[in-house]
This record gives sequence, structure tokens and C-alpha cells, in this order.
Amino acid sequence: MIELPLVEVATPPEFWKSLGERDGARLDPREFAPGAGLPDFDRRTFLGLMGASLALAGAGCGRQTPEKIVPYVKSPEKTIPGKPLYYATAMPQPGGAVGLMVESHEGRPTKIEGNPAHPASLGAAGAIEQAAVLGLYDPDRAKALTHFSRVTGWNDALDQLRKELAGLVLNKGKGFALLTGGVNSPTLAAQIADLLKAMPLAKWYVHEPTVPGFAHEGAKAALGKPVDLVYRLAEADVIVSLDANFLAEGPNHLRHAREFATRRNPSGNMNRLYAVEAMPTPTGMVADHRLPLRPGRMDEFVAALAARLGVLPGPANVADPKASKFIDAVAADLKKNAGRSLVIAGPYQSQAVHALAIAINDKLGNFGKSVVAIDPVDARPAGDATLTNLAQAMDRGEVDTLLILSVNPVHTAPAGLDFAGKLAKVRLRIRLGLYEDETGCLCDWHIPEAHFLESWSDAVGPDGTASIIQPLIAPLYEGKSAHEVLSAFLSTATTKPAQLPGVPSEWKSWRTREIVRDYWRAWHKSKNVSESFEAFWRRAVHDGVVAGTAREPLTVRAQSVKAPAPGPKPAGPELIVRPDAVLRDGRFANNGWLQELPKPLTKITWDNAAIVSPATARTLGIAPGEGPHGGNHGELLTELVELTAGSRKLRAPLYVLPGHPDDAVTLHLGYGRAKTGKVADGVGVNANELCPTEDSWSGQTVDIRPTGVRFTLACTQTLWSMQGRDLVRLATHEDYKKDPACPPHQAGGHGAHLPHVEGMDELYTNPQVGGPNQWGMSVDLGACNGCGSCVIACQAENSIPVVGKDSVTRGREMAWMRIDRYFTGDESNPQAVHQPVMCQHCENAPCEVVCPVEATSHSPDGLNEMTYNRCVGTRYCANNCPYKVRRFNFLEFTDYATESLKLQRNPDVSVRVRGVMEKCTYCVQRIREAEITAKVQRRGIAEGDIVTACQAACPSQAIVFGNAYDPKSAVSKAKALPRSYGLLTELNTKPRTTYLAAVRNPNPELG
Amino acid sequence: MPQIFHPSFNTVSKVTIFGAVFFLAAGGVAVAAFIRSGYATNAGITRDQPVPFSHQQHAGALGIDCRYCHTSVENSPYAGMPPTKTCMNCHQQIWVGSDMLAPVRDSYKSGKSIEWSRVHRVADHVYFDHSVHVAKGVGCTTCHGPVGEMQLIWQHGSLLMEWCLECHRAPEKFVRPRDKVFDLDWKTTGSEQKELGAKLKEEYGLKSMIHCSTCHR
Repeated sequence: MIELPLVEVATPPEFWKSLGERDGARLDPREFAPGAGLPDFDRRTFLGLMGASLALAGAGCGRQTPEKIVPYVKSPEKTIPGKPLYYATAMPQPGGAVGLMVESHEGRPTKIEGNPAHPASLGAAGAIEQAAVLGLYDPDRAKALTHFSRVTGWNDALDQLRKELAGLVLNKGKGFALLTGGVNSPTLAAQIADLLKAMPLAKWYVHEPTVPGFAHEGAKAALGKPVDLVYRLAEADVIVSLDANFLAEGPNHLRHAREFATRRNPSGNMNRLYAVEAMPTPTGMVADHRLPLRPGRMDEFVAALAARLGVLPGPANVADPKASKFIDAVAADLKKNAGRSLVIAGPYQSQAVHALAIAINDKLGNFGKSVVAIDPVDARPAGDATLTNLAQAMDRGEVDTLLILSVNPVHTAPAGLDFAGKLAKVRLRIRLGLYEDETGCLCDWHIPEAHFLESWSDAVGPDGTASIIQPLIAPLYEGKSAHEVLSAFLSTATTKPAQLPGVPSEWKSWRTREIVRDYWRAWHKSKNVSESFEAFWRRAVHDGVVAGTAREPLTVRAQSVKAPAPGPKPAGPELIVRPDAVLRDGRFANNGWLQELPKPLTKITWDNAAIVSPATARTLGIAPGEGPHGGNHGELLTELVELTAGSRKLRAPLYVLPGHPDDAVTLHLGYGRAKTGKVADGVGVNANELCPTEDSWSGQTVDIRPTGVRFTLACTQTLWSMQGRDLVRLATHEDYKKDPACPPHQAGGHGAHLPHVEGMDELYTNPQVGGPNQWGMSVDLGACNGCGSCVIACQAENSIPVVGKDSVTRGREMAWMRIDRYFTGDESNPQAVHQPVMCQHCENAPCEVVCPVEATSHSPDGLNEMTYNRCVGTRYCANNCPYKVRRFNFLEFTDYATESLKLQRNPDVSVRVRGVMEKCTYCVQRIREAEITAKVQRRGIAEGDIVTACQAACPSQAIVFGNAYDPKSAVSKAKALPRSYGLLTELNTKPRTTYLAAVRNPNPELG
Repeated sequence: MPQIFHPSFNTVSKVTIFGAVFFLAAGGVAVAAFIRSGYATNAGITRDQPVPFSHQQHAGALGIDCRYCHTSVENSPYAGMPPTKTCMNCHQQIWVGSDMLAPVRDSYKSGKSIEWSRVHRVADHVYFDHSVHVAKGVGCTTCHGPVGEMQLIWQHGSLLMEWCLECHRAPEKFVRPRDKVFDLDWKTTGSEQKELGAKLKEEYGLKSMIHCSTCHR
């Protein structure tokens, strides 16, 4: 028996997962949580149940029914059964599309990855893009065209709609309104333009709830015209983020993360990031310096910074000494790095902040270097055409017929607009949507929309690069694209071309592909190139980008910018409203993967919460633990608080987050859906209910009142203690230069300092490994920002089921990867380190020696294998795993009942049933596939042949995988770096996954 | 005191005790035999097919290469079932009026696939890959048996894991030159195979592949 020495835990520890752990107060000394023991059985019940189980175990046996083989009649081109095909496409997003590469097995898309040729992807894909494949197969999607809930056919509907529209057309479209989201399809923009030409009195409104107009207004103020800014982060030595979560949100975040990571290598030329923000974001929490600031103070902060840099006259100071010191350092650093710096304003900042950021960049000479301006990529209507304008027009009775494309304003409109009430005043309401949701059920006609993986279209990326969106599958539910619907309207509007001059005659067909091709045929013709259209089209579709469409940078010169007018200072706590990290405005709310993805930093799943700082929680009389009422793993006991803004009230669970500014509360959008589907409905609260106007992102005074009503949040990281172990390592660049090994700072208690224990080396024996390929992984903590792309990639690749809120609160989430978040520093302004943890593939794996049935074993190439069919579910392996990375199917989590979900599952991975253990396999299916391909081609495996799902998805390229025994491979080079370390190596487990210590580059002047 | 048991019970009890051991052993043998039987493994059983396609005629007598129909055997996990078009390549010229071929013609006309009854079914958690076996010199007949002599196809091996492992433990006992993989008549004697196997094992880099994730993922 080996006795481990007791570890003296330093207080407060250097790194902490939760406030409770930091204070050491709430640690439960018991190994098992209350209630974790055996249920209260008497002997008779036990024997009865066991007998019944045994009897039933045999009852289900029978001969398998013979299967059929159904070959093709004529084999489609390029199809080889068993071999997936990859198609380039793009996902339209507000502000710019992301190019994707979709894996298709016998005609069904199963996995989405990034398109390396697309400038906004560079091969990576975010959580939202990857989860779109689950959205495609969502069984709750609208499945039929309905008229007042009665199912109708498309042709019948068109006949009826034409009759209805005949009057409108004669009136030149008076009373006709079109409501869309942000339009970044050139074809759709051209169609809308044609429709408005045919019906000149019709109005087009845009409602894009996650993209307020501030950025364009600010550009207009500073440059005289609205522009989109494209940042080149690799060119900037000093970056200042003004509440901009540019690494994890927005259309270009994947490229940003890649470029940013290239400048975070401590042996290279490190950049420096200053972040000023309210709600802690993945970007701000990995910044070298972060200043938590209430949004209400942002204007004065930026004005002071601008004054310091000579952009504005006037006071160069702010009252807060911390902020003042911060401005000093930032201004000095920016001046020193003029032309090699960058100031980025976040989308929810005011017009003044955007204008000042542009003026500062111009003053510093950054335009054309670290930032360029291009014409806006989204098509925009002329004049006032917001949702508010539409609501006013509806209220005045000016809207007779309303066509809504895709957006869901009844849910996403601020409560102050009373959109649903005003919608009732419209005579004819027609909606095209993926779901018959809050808006859909208030409309006369509901047309099911084709998912972007089901229909042809095109989209423009954030730098203007156009992509053709090609469908991967025929519409599952007879969905129609926006192009088809508009084309049908257009044909109605142009029935009598003689009466309506100026309508192009090109729109002949309603077939979406022809509509899109027609647009690009005209575009191609205008370019006057020798290449035939067919060749151009095939290349554009194949590559996923239309060559030569990136927009030319504009030459811009900032005008003098006015200082922001002092806004209303909120008297009490300020309400901050932001889109959710992955559900955004709620459009992805019915996606189980995204609902169950722990939010960056808070690690909450299946809910939104009223997020406050620890100090604010104390003023409310609530003790700021990780949850005010404690909790276990997965379960966070908190209480509901009532938020009152003006006359509007909302109850939401409280969450205390270190680093949040005091006197403010953040509530995320995207929740509180009522009529979407079984995943989204009834989850969380709708933050829009507190908003009077479309621009209520901040500035409202809100009253927070504890109600005393207990509430359980499903939170995947709560009460576990590190017991002083050395799990994450963080060093400053200065320290790194002195000692590149980045050893842990705090002496005593750290694992690396544990005394050597006799007998530990023999506790787990090294299995026979041999052969040229020894797989290993290295994760760079300095590059990881905790965005969660890898988690969704793993879920999609390995067919990992969704378990639901109740199971998460019991610690039964199935995700093979988790991203542990560690705080360090002061609770009012900590830094965070994110650590993706998956199976470490120990060479001396503790799980293997305890399995009674050898269901987990070691392969000669160093994989810790899991053989599901041998597993009998003892869970000994999970108990003995020091990394807690094994996941057990406590219940039948896999959905066998829903047919459409079966289409998504990866055919190269076994579907696991109840009672079976599973865990990260290093994507063994991809390894074996690459090995087989290499063997068939009679060659060895080359570096880069095997890319794990998480590695492929990571925008920062933090994850490197490969042959750890090949000194030339990227992974062995990473492992050879001095800052490489393993987790819990004192246990002699010899993990094959190792980590690179995070290195930050703080400004010595800020201390 | 009277005897409770008759003296003959000595024999009865002996038989019972030794018998119990025998019966248990016999039961074990019976179970082991059952799970290896054709009834349980489906080995040696032909199935009714919509068209009584004869491998004996096509592959044996006419000598059509396996890959003419099973096109993806060299580069995919699946050997591939021929589309109706492949049948019609020949049968729009020969045996055009045959009643037996009516389902093929119907399928070609209607665009509806022929539904064949599956004969070889490996368990769902086994990821067998034809291409790598073919590339490493495992002949078709090694697993599929004398296909050229089968009228209706049947499953030759048991497809139990122990059957796979016979070769995975010692591939040299079964391997043949790559250019003989599709040869339905390839045969070696024991001593020839010993010599050839050792040579090919070296040449093709064959290894004993018995770790779980070779086949299970």
C-alpha cells in the first residue's frame, strides 16, 4: 500500500476554479457527495429487481432479421460506397460568411470543417458552424407549408398568393413590406433590388439582432461613409480591444484567432493585448491587461485615450485612478508602436466609440497596415429601415402585406416595440422560416425554409470574398430558399412586364440553382474574361471561393471627430445585454450541442443567468461563492433575482463571475424561446423582455432584488479542488526569458514538488509499445481562448449524445473534451487560463489495470483503446482515472427513435448504448483510416495525414497531433519545448497528451 | 437403527456427483458448439435472392474478374455491390428475354434498386476494410471460400472473432502474392505456404494485428 503524503495547500492558491475553492471555505471533506451512496433497498426488493433483471436479460435475445443490400441502379459519379466525399460550401452569417468543407457519406452530410481556401476560415470552424449539421437534421424544423396551420401545397399556395398580390402590384407595391436579416448573398440582394424596382413603393427593412448599426454610424461620422473594417492582427504589435470579443465572436473571429495566435509564441515577437470590457469574454480574459469597465464609462474612457493621443482636445483624464493608470500605459504603448498597433471597438459600443477608434487608428497610421476599410459586405436598404421603423409603419397601418424572410422578430424584438401586437394590424403576413416559431405561428402563411446545407445560394465573406453555397442534400422537408420565394414574388410582380418597365428579363426559373447561376453568369460576363462560364462556375463551386472577389481596401482619411456627448449616467446598477456566445439571438437555440456546450468562462449550460461581480453580489446580501448556495459537480445552487428596468420585470438566476465590473449585471440573449422545439422551449429567460428599444445593449438602470427562490444551474465546473496540484502554468514573457520552463510559481503543495514516492514507478506497468508511429498530442495553453470549437468538433465527429440539463447537474455530461477554466489574480480582475482536457492516453494507464474484462487496453502505437462491446459498466476505470476524462452512459442517451438524427452520426464510429464507458480515442477512426490508406498506397504515414477533429477545428491551432517518436514532427517539436509539461506526471502515468505553459506579455509599467 | 438409504444409493450418488461434472462439461461443449454452428453463425447457408445470381457461372465458368462487379474492393472498406447498370452492360446483349432476369430489367427501367438479401454480415462494432486486406495479399477465397463453385453465394467462414484472429495472429499462414489475390483457383500445400508466407510477411511488412482498435472503434 502506498501512502501519498498529505499536501499542504497554500492559501489563497495561485490558481482557482471557483471562488469557493479560492476561499477554501466550502470544500466538502467527504469523498462522495450526499446521496451518492446506494439507494435505500431492503433485501426482498433487491432480490426481486435482480431476478427481474436476469430474466429480462435473456428475454430480448433472438435471431437477427436478415438485412437487405440495396445498390444503386446507376452509380453516381465519383461515389465509392464507404468513402466520404468532401464538398466546399459556406455558412451565411451576419457580417460575412464562413467557408466550410462538409463531409458527406453516401449523400448525407455528417461533419462540418473549415475550408482552408476561405479567408474567414483558414481551415478552422467555430462551434456555431460545426453545429449547423445538427440543425439540418433537427426534427423540430417546419416540415410543411401551412396556411393558418393547415397544410397546403407549394403550387396551391402560389396560386392563392398571386391572387392576393395582384392588387399590390397594380399599386406599385404600396403597402408591401419585406423584412429580412442581414443580406450577404449578392444574388438575394439583386433579387430584392429587382423586386423594389418592380414595386417602387414597397419597403425593405432589415432586422439583424446581433449586429447593431453603431459600427457603420461611427464610420460615417469618422470617414464620411459606412465601411467594414478588416483587421490584420498579425501586423499589430499592440492591440487595444474596446469591448471587442474579436477572438471568439463575429464573422471573422476564426481568422483573428489564427493571426493572433501566430503572435503569441514566446520565442518569437510577442504582441500585447489590452482589453477594456464589461462582461468577461474569451478575448479579454486571455489579454495581457484587462480593465473591467461598466459600459456607461466607456465613452469617457475612449475620449480620454483619444485626447491622450492627440485625436481629441479636452480632458485627458478619467476619475477612476485604475482606469487613468491604464490609459497612461495604453497611450504610451500605442504611441511607441504607431503604425504597428490596432484599436478595435466592439459591435455593441456606441457610435462615438467606433468613430474615435477609427480616428485613433488613423492618427497612429494603422490604416492600410493593421486595419483596412472596405465597402460593407452586407447589402443594406436605403434610408431608415430598421425593425423600429417597420413597427412604426405597422402601427400607422401602412403595412398591408408583410413578407418575413428567416428572422424571428416576435422573439428577438425588444419588449418596448410590442412587435407581436403590431403584427396583428397587418392584413397578410407571410413568413419563410426554419421553424414555425414565435413569429411563424402569428403569420397567415408559413413556408418551411431550406437549410443552407439544402439549397444553392451565395454569400460574401467578411473581406468581401464571395462563395457559392452548394447544397449537400436535397431539402428534407420540401423547404424553399429565400431565392425561390422572392423569385415567385418577382414573377407575380412582373406578370405584366408592359406595365412595369425596367424589370430584367433574366429571372426565368424558380429553381434556386438557376437563380444563383444567372446572377454569376451576368457577373462573369461583366468581367470579360476568356474562361467559359461553365469552367468558372465549376471552379468557384469546387474551391468554395470565387477568385478575385475580395474587396479592394479603400483609401480613407478620418475627419475630425467630436467628443462623445456625456450620456445619461445610470443611477444604479447598469443592465448589459449581449448575444449569447453560441445561441446568438436565439436562432440556434434548438440545437442540443450548442445548448450543452459550457459557456466560455461561466461554464453554464442550458440556461442564461444574471451575471454580476462578487462585490455586487455582496451588496445584494448574497455570499459570492461559486453559487450562493453551494452545489456539487454539475450542479450550482443559486437563487433567482428580480431585475426591474423601468416598468419591466424579469426573474433570472444569479451567477457570480470574477472579473465582471461592479454595479452592473449582464444578461445574454437567445433564451426564453416559447415555440421552437423540444430543445429550446422553456430554457432560460428572454432578455429582450427588459429592453425598451433596439439599442438597449447597455445604459439602462436596473434594480436587482434577491427573491430567495432557489434555482439550480447546470454548470460543469463548480466545486472541485485542485488540492494545490500544479495543473496550469502561466508565466510572463519576462519570466519566460529568464526560465523558459515556466515552472509553477507557488512553492509547496505543487505536484512537481511532491516527494518521490517509493513504489509509484511499479504501480502501473508500461505495456508493450512498439512500431514507428507513437501518437501524441500537445496543447498550447497560450493559444487557447476557450471558445469551444474543439468540443463541438469532438461531439460531431464521435456521435456524442446530448444528455439534457438534469443529467448535467448530476455530472453526467458526455462530452469527451472539457475546457477547464482557471482564474488567477484578484477576484475583481483575474486572468483566466483555459485548459482543454481529454483522455491523456497515459502510457501507464491507471484505467487499464482495473478493468475486469479488458475492455480498455493499450495499442502498440500508444493509444488507450476503449472497446465498447466488452464493457460491462463497472466504472472502475473512471474511478481510477486521475484526469476524470472517462464518460459513462448512465442512461440511454443516444436517441434511437428520431430517424433524422441517425443521418448525422459518423458511420466510422460505434454508437454507444446505456451502461458503456467511453472517452476520447484520439479520433482512432481517423488514425486507422489514414493507416489503411497509406498501406494501400504502399507508403508510410506522413506528417499531417492524421488530423484529429479537435485539432482541425481549433482556430488558434493550439492543438497539435502526430507521431511523438518522430523528432521531425510538429508534436515532438512542441513536446521538446522547455515550457511543455504533463498533468499529474508525479503519478508516473506518462500521459501522451502534454501542455505548453501559457505565456503572457504584460506591460512592465502596469506591474 | 434402520438404514435410511438403500445400498444402491451409493452408486446413485457417485453417478450423480461425477455426472454433474460430466453434464456441466457437456453443457459447456454444447454451448460452444452451438455458437460456432451454422445455425448461429449463418455459415454455409444460402439465401433466396430476387435473381438467382450464380457466381459459379459468372466468376467460375466465364472467368469474369471479381473487380468487374465489386469495383471498390481495392480502395474502400466495402467491396461494393454492382449497380443494376453493371448487370445490364452484358444483359442487354445476352439472355435479354430471360424470365430470371426480369427483376434486373424492371430495376433498370423503373430506377428502383434490386434488394439483395445480405449473406455476409459482420457485427456493427467491427470495422472491416476490404482494401487493406487485398493490398496485403489476402485472397478473396481465403475468406469467401470457393466462390467459383458456388451457385448461390454462401458465407464460408464463421465470421466469429476467433476466425478473424486465426489470420490476424499469424498472417503468414494465409497470405498469397498480390497478383494472385483475385485468383479463385489459387492453392498451396502446407510446406509451400510456410515458405511463401515467410517471404511475403517480410516483403509486405505483415504484422500480427491483434490490438482492439484494429477493428473496433
